[in-house]
Amino acid sequence: MERTRRAAGRGRLIGWALLGAVVVALLTVGIVRDRGAESSQDRADDVARRIACPVCDGESVFESRNNASEAIRAAIDERVTAGRQSDDQIISYIESRFGGQLLLVPRATGIDAVVWAVPAGALVVALAALALTFRRWSAQPRAAPTESDRDLVAAAMDDP
Amino acid sequence: MLAASLNGTIGRAGLLLVLAATVSGALSTAYAIRKGDARMSSQSRWYALLALLGAVVAVAMMQRALITRDFELAYVQQVGSDSTPRIYNIAAMWSALEGSILLWLIVLALLVGAVAWRYRARAGDPLVAWAMIVLLVVTAFFALLSFGPADPFAAGVPGRDFGRGPNPLLQNHILVLFHPPILYLGYVGITVPFAFAIAALVTGRVGEGWLAETRRWALLSWAFLTLGILLGGWWSYEVLGWSGVWAWDPVENASLLPWLTGTAYIHSVMVQERRGMLRVWNLSLLIATFALTILGTFLTRSGVLSSVHAFAAGSVGGYLLAFFGVIVVVSLGLIAWRGDRLRAPGLIDSPVSREGAFLANNVMFALFAFVVLLGTVFPLIVEALQDRQTIVGAPYFDRLSMPIGLVLLFLMAVAPALPWRKASGEVLGQRLYWPAWCGVGALAVAVAVGASGWAPLLAFGLGGFAAGAAGRQLVLATRRQGWRGLVGRTNGGMIVHLGIIIIAVALAASNSYTRSATLTLDVGTPASALGHTFELERIVETQDERARVVKAEVLLDGDRVYRPASTKYLQFGQDIGTPSVRTGVTKDVYLTLEPGSGVRGGDRDAVIRVFVKPLILWLWIGGGIVAFGTLLAAFPSSRRRRPTDPASAPVPVGRSEERVAAERAAGERPDTSRVGTDSDDVPAEELTGV
Repeated sequence: MERTRRAAGRGRLIGWALLGAVVVALLTVGIVRDRGAESSQDRADDVARRIACPVCDGESVFESRNNASEAIRAAIDERVTAGRQSDDQIISYIESRFGGQLLLVPRATGIDAVVWAVPAGALVVALAALALTFRRWSAQPRAAPTESDRDLVAAAMDDP
Repeated sequence: MLAASLNGTIGRAGLLLVLAATVSGALSTAYAIRKGDARMSSQSRWYALLALLGAVVAVAMMQRALITRDFELAYVQQVGSDSTPRIYNIAAMWSALEGSILLWLIVLALLVGAVAWRYRARAGDPLVAWAMIVLLVVTAFFALLSFGPADPFAAGVPGRDFGRGPNPLLQNHILVLFHPPILYLGYVGITVPFAFAIAALVTGRVGEGWLAETRRWALLSWAFLTLGILLGGWWSYEVLGWSGVWAWDPVENASLLPWLTGTAYIHSVMVQERRGMLRVWNLSLLIATFALTILGTFLTRSGVLSSVHAFAAGSVGGYLLAFFGVIVVVSLGLIAWRGDRLRAPGLIDSPVSREGAFLANNVMFALFAFVVLLGTVFPLIVEALQDRQTIVGAPYFDRLSMPIGLVLLFLMAVAPALPWRKASGEVLGQRLYWPAWCGVGALAVAVAVGASGWAPLLAFGLGGFAAGAAGRQLVLATRRQGWRGLVGRTNGGMIVHLGIIIIAVALAASNSYTRSATLTLDVGTPASALGHTFELERIVETQDERARVVKAEVLLDGDRVYRPASTKYLQFGQDIGTPSVRTGVTKDVYLTLEPGSGVRGGDRDAVIRVFVKPLILWLWIGGGIVAFGTLLAAFPSSRRRRPTDPASAPVPVGRSEERVAAERAAGERPDTSRVGTDSDDVPAEELTGV
């Protein structure tokens, strides 16, 4: 009995190792063949998603259907098709041509960095708090039942 | 002030009735509790019914005013028009601020009425009486909003006898009839567990009794919130024309925030029910959930944040902010006051346990909510500090929510296999083995059909893993109990998990693998793109008194004609594109006619934008599964083990809601004829690790 259990355990261990290997292989295949945007239209969409529509509220150029956004989309399409600039260069160009703060992802400089730093800080604090809580719990001695606790249980057990 | 019309007069009388009934109901119930007069405090239900009556009258009058086009009311001048079709005229009630508050009021009044009726036999119980007071006070607040700053029955410009009708986006899809009321049922439903939480704090009965009372209310409002959010995504997909379901718009975020804290709550509450722990945390989550619904409403209805839902901005900001402040101060004060009773009796033995997983889940959901809140209000912070405009858009939220979502999927996979108290490596290795292979299978299928990129692949793999874990639990439960294994909290919950996993996978796929193309089509010349052929057959134009509609008839894959349209609503002068979608099991083909391109009927060419989006259909299927699972989890919950029975004992059939009363009245013996086992329990053969 003990021996078969151990053998089963070993078999499972091999199974887990095999599983890990398969996962790594599959992920590698998937990551290696990822070449980003497949067509210039997809790349233009990716850029458009990062730019705010200048006249509407909180929509990206990609989402918005108004004329201003359509003009910006056309400008992006043109630059992307020309294929000489990187995404960031295209965005700076759009910002200079259409004016204003149009980038939808806050930059990681100045006060805008707060919006990135605070969630990271919150994660660290939350994990630390969780770890501390578990430590406090495991450090606490188990309370022994008092006489009145035992009476309570006894009374409850007698209750039909 | 004289009201504008008969509709206005009676409607305002209805609102006044709500206000009077709720205020006097709250006062008299409080007085009755003070005097210890159970008979008097049980009268709270009559006040609740009066308030409901008032709200029904107000809504009926608003609908009548809209139907009869009573342009003497300012609200009808704003959202009514002679040309609005009948169903959108009904929905016009919630297409602007005042009517939305009225919708909130009627939903709240219905819920308060339902609570009053449900607990009519126990209205003398201080816990129930205090909950009624809280509910009546919240209703009074919304009646006050409706009566004062957001008056739907205010008199309009005299002599004006026309209106523009609802915003064009709110009069071209049937979902506007369902999305807001269902979302509000979820939003407003949170008030009931919140009221019981406050009542528990006030009465000092902070044990597990109030949790049992409100479990179903919390679950059902969570389900309505989930469905409401999904229906909103569906509406966005079918109407807005950018082929997306979620834009991280402030109003969307305002509905997601309570969903996140509410989801954390319905998980962590199980730790308290089972182990008596996390009392303060659960109360805080519930209070946060309710407070966030008010804060979200403030952020989006006061005009401080702008969004595509801006049609509903107005002057209620100050009131909502003040109410939010009162909720936070009162709740925190009560928690501090009851601090001594809230100390948990139990301990968590090991982080690697069911309760440990619930805690990790809670941390992730709380972090998620924090990130969404931060991103939503960050423009306000920057504006206050530096006086400049910033926009925090979808890319920010996408980037941060993706890792959080992956961790949550991982927890979803591991947690159902973890036993309470403590897990050994051996047990975990055995229980997670087949679920993990399910994950590998999902990953392999994804790679085989050409998926790429680490984030979506991880999402598919972890989704498969989590689905395997949920499936394992369901298989074990049905093997033991037959179809009954599908009902109850744990197993219904696993079905909800399956629905959520389907939604997560569909979101990962549609966000990562949407392809698009812009085609200039000439009539009669087929063009191919993205693996499909498109042929423009003709462009037709129709016009009525409401709108001019230009439709492009496009033959897709030589098979069926789709008609993306561009509509100009004459009262608004705005072009609204209406997409046409071929829905499929694996992918949708989404066609839009670019509005504003000036295309007219009879033209020989048109610019068509095409999106090919995978797995969109599964978002809605997943939503249906979530709803079904919640029903299974919520209803057959009455069979509860008595706390003094050993875990292996058969579970008696009792009426859980009356459990407290039954235990007090010790004469009633539970019926043990129907024998079943708690689905949380581990069958013996698993413990031995065979």
